[in-house]
Amino acid sequence: MELKITNLSKTYRNGVKALDNVSLTIPRGMYGLLGPNGAGKSTLMRTLATLQEPDSGSAFLGEIDVLRQKDEVRRRLGYLPQEFGVYPRISAQDMLSHLALLKGMTNARERKEIVAAMLQRCNLYEVRKKALTGFSGGMRQRFGIAQALIGNPQLLIADEPTAGLDPGERNRFYNLLAEVGEQVVVILSTHIVQDVMDLCTDMAIIHEGKVLFQGAPQNAITELKGRIWERSIDKPELAHYEEKFRVVSNRLVGGRPFLHVFGEELPGEGFLPSQADLEDVFFTKIRHWN
Amino acid sequence: MFLNIALFEVRFWLRSWMVWIFLFIIGLLVFGAVSSDQVQLGGALPNTYHNAPFVIQNFYSFIALLTLLMSTAFVNSAALRDFSNNTYQIVFTTPLRKFDFLLGRFIGATLISVIPMLGVSLGILLAKYMPWVDQDRWGPVDWAAHFKSIAIFALPNAFFIAAVLFAVAVLARNEIISFVAALVLLTGYGVAGALTQDIQNEKIAALLDPFGSRTFDLVTRYWTVAEKNHVSAGFTGLLLWNRLIWISVGCLVFAVAYSRFSFAERRTKAKPVEPDAQDAIRPVSVTLARPQLQDAPWAKFVGSFKIHFLGMARSTFFVVIAVASLLNCIPSLALSATEGYGNQTLPVTYWILDLIRGTLYPFVVIVITYYAGVLVWKDHDERMDEIADSTPTPDWISYAPRLLTLMIMVMLMQSAALLGGIAVQTWHGYHRYQLGLYAYELLVRDASAFLFLSVLAFFIHVLSPNKYIGYFFYIVFLAANAFVWRPLNIATSLVRFGSRPQEIYSDMFGDAPYRAAWDWYTLYWLIFCGLLAILTIMFWPRGKQDRWLGRRRNAAQRFHGGWISASLLCLLAFASTGGWIWYNTEVLNRVVAPKTQQRLQAEYEKTYKQFEKKPQPRVRSIKYAVDIYPESRNMVMRAEQVIQNPFAQPINEIQFTVDPNYITEIEIPGASLSKDDTKLYYRIYKFDSPMQPNESRTMHFTVKSKNRGFENSVSTVELVQNGTFFNNAIGPRIGYDSGRQLTDPNDRKKYGLKEIDLMPPLERNCTTDCMDTYIGLHSDWVDVQTVISTSADQLAIAPGSLTREWQENGRRYFEYKLDHQSLNFSNFMSARYEVAREDWNGIKLEVYYDRQHPWNVPRMMNSMKKSLDYYTKNFGPYYHKEARIIEFPRVATFAQAFPGTMPYSESIGFIANINKPDDIDFIFYVVAHEMAHQWWAHQVVGANMEGATVLSESLAQYSALMVMEKEYGRDMMRKFLKYEMDNYLRSRGTERLKERPLITVEANQGYIHYRKASVVLYYLKEMIGEEAVNRALRKVIQQYAYAQPPYPTSHALVDALQEQTPPDLQYLIKDLFEDITIFSNRTLDASAQKRADGKYDVTLKVEAHKYKADAKGNETEVPVNDFIDIGAFAKPAKKMQYGDTLHRERVHITQKESTLTFVTDSLPDKAGIDPFALLIDRIPDDNTKSVTLVGGK
Repeated sequence: MELKITNLSKTYRNGVKALDNVSLTIPRGMYGLLGPNGAGKSTLMRTLATLQEPDSGSAFLGEIDVLRQKDEVRRRLGYLPQEFGVYPRISAQDMLSHLALLKGMTNARERKEIVAAMLQRCNLYEVRKKALTGFSGGMRQRFGIAQALIGNPQLLIADEPTAGLDPGERNRFYNLLAEVGEQVVVILSTHIVQDVMDLCTDMAIIHEGKVLFQGAPQNAITELKGRIWERSIDKPELAHYEEKFRVVSNRLVGGRPFLHVFGEELPGEGFLPSQADLEDVFFTKIRHWN
Repeated sequence: MFLNIALFEVRFWLRSWMVWIFLFIIGLLVFGAVSSDQVQLGGALPNTYHNAPFVIQNFYSFIALLTLLMSTAFVNSAALRDFSNNTYQIVFTTPLRKFDFLLGRFIGATLISVIPMLGVSLGILLAKYMPWVDQDRWGPVDWAAHFKSIAIFALPNAFFIAAVLFAVAVLARNEIISFVAALVLLTGYGVAGALTQDIQNEKIAALLDPFGSRTFDLVTRYWTVAEKNHVSAGFTGLLLWNRLIWISVGCLVFAVAYSRFSFAERRTKAKPVEPDAQDAIRPVSVTLARPQLQDAPWAKFVGSFKIHFLGMARSTFFVVIAVASLLNCIPSLALSATEGYGNQTLPVTYWILDLIRGTLYPFVVIVITYYAGVLVWKDHDERMDEIADSTPTPDWISYAPRLLTLMIMVMLMQSAALLGGIAVQTWHGYHRYQLGLYAYELLVRDASAFLFLSVLAFFIHVLSPNKYIGYFFYIVFLAANAFVWRPLNIATSLVRFGSRPQEIYSDMFGDAPYRAAWDWYTLYWLIFCGLLAILTIMFWPRGKQDRWLGRRRNAAQRFHGGWISASLLCLLAFASTGGWIWYNTEVLNRVVAPKTQQRLQAEYEKTYKQFEKKPQPRVRSIKYAVDIYPESRNMVMRAEQVIQNPFAQPINEIQFTVDPNYITEIEIPGASLSKDDTKLYYRIYKFDSPMQPNESRTMHFTVKSKNRGFENSVSTVELVQNGTFFNNAIGPRIGYDSGRQLTDPNDRKKYGLKEIDLMPPLERNCTTDCMDTYIGLHSDWVDVQTVISTSADQLAIAPGSLTREWQENGRRYFEYKLDHQSLNFSNFMSARYEVAREDWNGIKLEVYYDRQHPWNVPRMMNSMKKSLDYYTKNFGPYYHKEARIIEFPRVATFAQAFPGTMPYSESIGFIANINKPDDIDFIFYVVAHEMAHQWWAHQVVGANMEGATVLSESLAQYSALMVMEKEYGRDMMRKFLKYEMDNYLRSRGTERLKERPLITVEANQGYIHYRKASVVLYYLKEMIGEEAVNRALRKVIQQYAYAQPPYPTSHALVDALQEQTPPDLQYLIKDLFEDITIFSNRTLDASAQKRADGKYDVTLKVEAHKYKADAKGNETEVPVNDFIDIGAFAKPAKKMQYGDTLHRERVHITQKESTLTFVTDSLPDKAGIDPFALLIDRIPDDNTKSVTLVGGK
């Protein structure tokens, strides 16, 4: 089963073009959707999660028309929104059980077992009787993961899932996803390049509603080979450099700006060839240099 | 410094929209109330200028109750803003003094809280200049009243409220608790009101009212229209004390809050539990069973219901409002369960139900309004929507469980009140538990109305772009639904959302007469709500739709299959029930809107008033054949009526006004119908040969009820399944009926009619104008014979002796014949009665009562006997062979006297509960009053002019007082007269036209011909003696009993009384009957000194003022030259209200201040002037004073 998106467009009432003729084919496995904030990732995710109507285009999950056969999609869907809350005064266990029920697990005994197992798996079992409103950000996020995974979805959509998680937790979360991702379609939207690099076999870069790249991350890096240069400079020189060169990124190393610069040839004195990474791909793509 | 902070606070709020919106809301409410008759705020306006000082002050006195929740918002924010915005770490680390900070914020919030209250002034000032208001009803702008009200009410109330709420906010630092406190303040206010409503502790109640509203009521309760128009209450007396008390309490509360406030951060709650982060997501792979996913909508429905129910049940606000509502309801039940209708009653179930509706339902409506929004917007507000919306759940499962949750909550509140009601009944020793009635009325009847409201609220919220707009439109819709139909002159319930016929439950017939219409309208609105529900589901928000187009497209996608058929089915059912209702209410019956009704009345007067004085034949005798069909609420009355021409000229036509609710056929041999006005129900018959003087003819008429199908509202509520009661006024009335005229001067003006006095002016020695009684009907004393039939299980009653009784065709027949010619005033009744029978000197005494109401029958019998004893001894013979009291359903709450027969409402005596020795025996009194009518009205009846009711109502009142005094003693009369005086003094302030002296009272001025007459006639009896009064009454009886016209006027009585009054008391006649006389007597000082012989010299310093009032209540002081009692009382024995009288003496008082002395045998407790409060005096309590013992020799 794969997810095929064709010419999806969406313009908001305020004139913002969130999706501009987006076409993607997403195979089984982990698929990364990379883009800066406001790129249209969430709009795409919500459209795939049956929560939003596009202006035009189509999307098919296998044979299922995502835009028309919404209930068919929902039966196969696990969705972790970028932002979500929970009902006040309801415990984690009750809430998860309720969502499991809404997904169709009507057998009470079976549901109880699965909920318990899922709480175990997401390490919420100890606090299962506590009201969700008292949870920390990380715990709440784990609850979100639990509810998305429950019911063995065939399409798992996770919108910025690692926001608020500490690095260790993030790793373990990826392990969990990777484990699931072997059998189903997993779409992971993020603005963190490293996530995609680590996890995804396929990816797309979206910016201002347009797909700028789609394919394997390694291919993208290969494309950039020999075109990224690096050097470290003094702070006052920064403005000069930014004006003169196509600066892909700058970060502080030992208190001094350390630049990545894009160029077909050695841009100038003091620059050394750099090992291109996905971040360089991302920034050059969204600046349309590449 | 604190001034700066206060000013900052004020500026902060002045820039926010909230203050101005609140000001606008209050302004609009008041504006509506004073500029339109449709809108009311705290009751109808008095008959004063609409901007009278009294009106201004009255609004200001209770407006704090409305602005309380608004104040909560200001005060709370002022006290807690820094905590909720987390700016306290910044603010409290500045070198700010606690004093400046707290006081500044507090004063700022107080001042801002006043602004919404100013809406009162704004509304009243603006309304005066609206083009549609009637300038005659507006006085000059009284700025002083506005400023005084702000000083007396607005500022102190804002201060007190702010102090309490500030203290709660500072101590609890929780917004919800602040709102709870505000609610508790509101309910506490209501409960305290219920606790202290009795006249005995009105002063305490007035002092205990933190807002001064009840104080204002008490201070102004006896104000006349003139005073209300020109005087405003100031900082004096009770009002001053009240304000001082509550300002002090406010200061104290603030001081406590101040001392407890600390800048330090509270210990915050422990951080939420965070398990070892290292272990956050377990690498352990738990094997998950592959779950079987199913579409099981009902399981999802039940699960969703559970989750929403738990969420609501655990929410603080719900618990708070549920508890507050029960706190408002249950104590009211316990306290008022026996207080129905101003006297003690048994806690019958329908009365408890009415109390529950009054005290619980405002909260239920709040719960529905608030939680409909919360439930619809719950997923959105909690940001749960994306997760929940992407589950495979049908849309209706988002809707139905939430609606069910709300309904179950409402029904739980009702059930708690139901249990409370049963507990209260048990507590009062009342064990007739009508569980079925409770359940039906609360959980079916009322709950269905709440269902309509809930469905509507959900619908509006689903279509709204956000919660607040949803709330706004819901409230606007409800207000429009309540107020828009009357001005539009639309009366049918078919268009007014959720509207069903009003009904009155009776133990006698249940709700049978209303049931069919109620059921059909309920079905109609249920189906409509079904349609709304379908629409709600179609438009239920799912996912993120930023455009209305998307919502519509979604709805179109959802609208398929079963939904289409369900909608079509609903539409079809809605149209057909609507059609059926329309057919029943508008084709088989008719709906007359109120304005149409008024227009017809005006037209009737304009067209036919010209015939009012036209000579018409008079009724001499009537034979009725009445058939009552209780099960179908139908009736046929056939009558053979002998009419006669009493005039010296021939009469060539006879005119009739007929009842629009019945089908009337008239047959007059030798006459033909020359005009048949089917719109105004007037008919004129022309005699082929005119009726010659003294000629008699026999005519026939038939009056048939036309109960077919059901009506929009039941018009002939006199015909019921059990408890039929109508009188002969439904028959064709000869001539013009002035009773149909519009009476309200504003209505008359609207239809271009001149203001009129309701009755012709009083004349002395009148003949031609006194040829008719005020009962009318163009008859004198008539012979009446009735054959009346009903269904086999009921008894049917008409006036007179029962001469024959038989069964025929499965129906019961009774024949009655009047023992003596009587007024043309006959009642016809039928119900399943029990009958109690006794005998008094050969007269049959009977009480016809419902099986469920046996309690007070013995008291009624006793009263009938005692009345007959007194009246036959003191007034004259009783001419009937029977005296009957007959219970009728509580569709009306009166007792009425027909010849020998007294219908008596179920609700004013049959369920009364007289169990304490000092309770006024209301039943005994009412029966004695009605029995007295057998002399006063049925033997002596007044001519149709002012003062007529003095001869019937006032004398019946006096007679009943005498019988009561004999039975219960003088102390009971003091208590009774205190209520009568209070009622008179209060009512004169609400007079819509003119207050008249007793001698020229109009027939609808009950507060004069009952209440004032009680006080005045009892006083006269005290002054000239019971025997002298009764001599005068006997003379009136001898002269006028059953006499032919001309009929007597009130002069006949007053002249007879004057004859019996000694020369030195002659001034009384003018004071009591011809003028409106008011006293202001008080004792300034009372002291006693022990004498050598053990007796006491008592010295009184008293003040006496006497005033005469005009029709509007303007008073002029006149010199005192009166004989007034002085006296002294011993200390009352335990549990007794009054002590023994130690001294009573009548003195001639000629000065405003006098010093008086007398001797008593023992030490008096109290002494003073007019000690029994017999004179009309607005403050009777200061007539006596506690006696101080001064040193002996």
